[in-house]
Amino acid sequence: MADKVYNDYFGEFGGRYVAEVLRTPLDELEAAFKDAMADPGFHAEVDAIADTFVGRPTPMLYARNSSDELGGARIFVKLEGLANTGAHKINNAVGQALLAKRMGKTRIIAETGAGQHGVATAAVCAKLGIECVVYMGEVDIARQRPNVFFMELFGATVAPVSSGQRTLKDAVNEALRDWAASFADTHYVIGSALGPSPYPDMVREFQSVVGRETQEQIEQYVAAEGLSVEALVACVGGGSNAIGFFAPFLDQASPRLIGVEAGGRGTEPGQHAARMKGLGRTGIVQGYKSLFLLSDDGQVQDTHSLSAGLDYPGIGPQLAALGVSGRVEFARATDADALDALRFFARNEGVVFALESAHGAAEAIRIARELPRDRAIVVNMSGRGDKDLFITARELGGPRWKSFLQSEVDRFDADANGGGE
Amino acid sequence: MSRIMAHMVAYYPDRKRSLAVAEGLIDGGASYLEIQFPFSDPTADGPAIQEASERALDAGFTVQSGFDLVREIAALTGSRCGPDGAPPIFLMTYASLVYARGVDRFIADGVDAGAAGFILPDLPFDHDEGAAAAASRHGASVMPVTVTSAPAARLDGLLATDPEYVYVALRRGITGSRTDLDDATLGVLDRIRATGTKVMAGFGVSDRAQVVALEAHAHAVVVGSALVRAVAAVADGPADAIRAAVANRLRELTG
Repeated sequence: MADKVYNDYFGEFGGRYVAEVLRTPLDELEAAFKDAMADPGFHAEVDAIADTFVGRPTPMLYARNSSDELGGARIFVKLEGLANTGAHKINNAVGQALLAKRMGKTRIIAETGAGQHGVATAAVCAKLGIECVVYMGEVDIARQRPNVFFMELFGATVAPVSSGQRTLKDAVNEALRDWAASFADTHYVIGSALGPSPYPDMVREFQSVVGRETQEQIEQYVAAEGLSVEALVACVGGGSNAIGFFAPFLDQASPRLIGVEAGGRGTEPGQHAARMKGLGRTGIVQGYKSLFLLSDDGQVQDTHSLSAGLDYPGIGPQLAALGVSGRVEFARATDADALDALRFFARNEGVVFALESAHGAAEAIRIARELPRDRAIVVNMSGRGDKDLFITARELGGPRWKSFLQSEVDRFDADANGGGE
Repeated sequence: MSRIMAHMVAYYPDRKRSLAVAEGLIDGGASYLEIQFPFSDPTADGPAIQEASERALDAGFTVQSGFDLVREIAALTGSRCGPDGAPPIFLMTYASLVYARGVDRFIADGVDAGAAGFILPDLPFDHDEGAAAAASRHGASVMPVTVTSAPAARLDGLLATDPEYVYVALRRGITGSRTDLDDATLGVLDRIRATGTKVMAGFGVSDRAQVVALEAHAHAVVVGSALVRAVAAVADGPADAIRAAVANRLRELTG
């Protein structure tokens, strides 16, 4: 089902359920996307930036110490978080920004949750010299301040969103409103493999570089160890890192493909962001049909995850369809599981997972224990954890972290007072 | 007096006072009522209607209670005598609410409550999940939405479905920002009108001059955010004050 560049629908999911005003820009985008994907010159442009700016290929790490400690399947980590700006989000931002330039657009807007997509888009816009506005919920601004700082450093305008739950879905709403009025000169870079078509197809295509590299690196590193790959594991918010990571493997029966959703603090409504395995229901929200966390009336429910990037009530339509067909399995990891996994790999391997990606790491740890030693699991570290410092250090850093923050504030105040005289 | 389709949000500011809004719109001379069922994520609406929707949901709106409210409002409009008769009710909402209840059941319940038709902006006419067919089975219609910037082929496709009404959004963007009318815009209205379809023209209408400019080219003029803002200005006041304020605001527009 992924053999086509443009699918529109994936089983019953997907489509373009938008107010008529957005039909014209989406039709234009579909045409431009198909045209670009058929043009070797466009791919060459993307590849050149991937080499010299993104830092591709990203490495694959054999997590030997972790594997030894767990005593089961061997774990490999695709270090996608080593890409410039710290996450896989840059792949899509580069692709869409180049497409926008090709379409003659002079302004780019984006939504962001964790801030990674916003940072990636702002960075690419700085590089390509395009005006950039990023919509971000006030709750996310508060918990991801470092990313706001970087977006502004890159010259982007960060527009706070104060409506609804003030998180990712509200930022999407606000960006759609902007675009409805601005599409003549503006391209909307959606950050995940969701929204009205052609976005789910487009984002998968731009992220599938992660899966293609993984395929090669499996030959190079995993097969070389005499291991057979049992499963690929990735976290799933909207699902852009997962669908890109899985894309080259979708049409084959193996390995197992496992998506890990945010189990948050429990299965009650509002305490998690897990749409699969019975908690989500089919609906039409934000321009596409998929599985969403909805009330019986169809109102979008609140969600929770310690990781801002997984805190979204809908899942990309292709992953929803793959979940229904059974090709992709789904699991959940809680906030606590993710923090444990983050600590485990940091101590054993010297890498810090982003909180989102740490949900995938938690599942990798769980299944590695159940599998024999001649099998391998590849987990996608879609982002690195630098951006989460203020969350992880609060959770794990204890009183010394608090006193450090206090002393920073004191120093700040002292400088301000001294400088103001 | 100009024909206006007057918009309101069910349960805004709350149940009782939204009934007062409906009464005010009828007092003020509405020819049609557009009653919006609030949705948590109204992407096609601007800040005024989004804030009204949030408050309506906080006030306890449910889809079932919305149908009950429509039934009460339909009873009000049914008792009104006037040259145009009772204003028909069009129920506007987003796909999520319709889909969650089941398209056929939602339409059937709406018709049973007294709706003459439905406006469903994120169910495009060519991917409407069976809404138009369901409406027709139950003796009502879906009023499709188009925009003046739509390519000719798209508009032709819509008109080929032979709708009784078409809602024409007059500008790019969301509800609630002011619209300037130009010859190209009015030309689109005339083109649709020539097919015998009733044109409901709106988006950003907030003063009498716009109504006058539009009414020669449309069956009725749609007023939404301007009325929601009128409610917002007195939203915490008593029901009678809301009813009077809304009626006065609408009279300014109907002339």
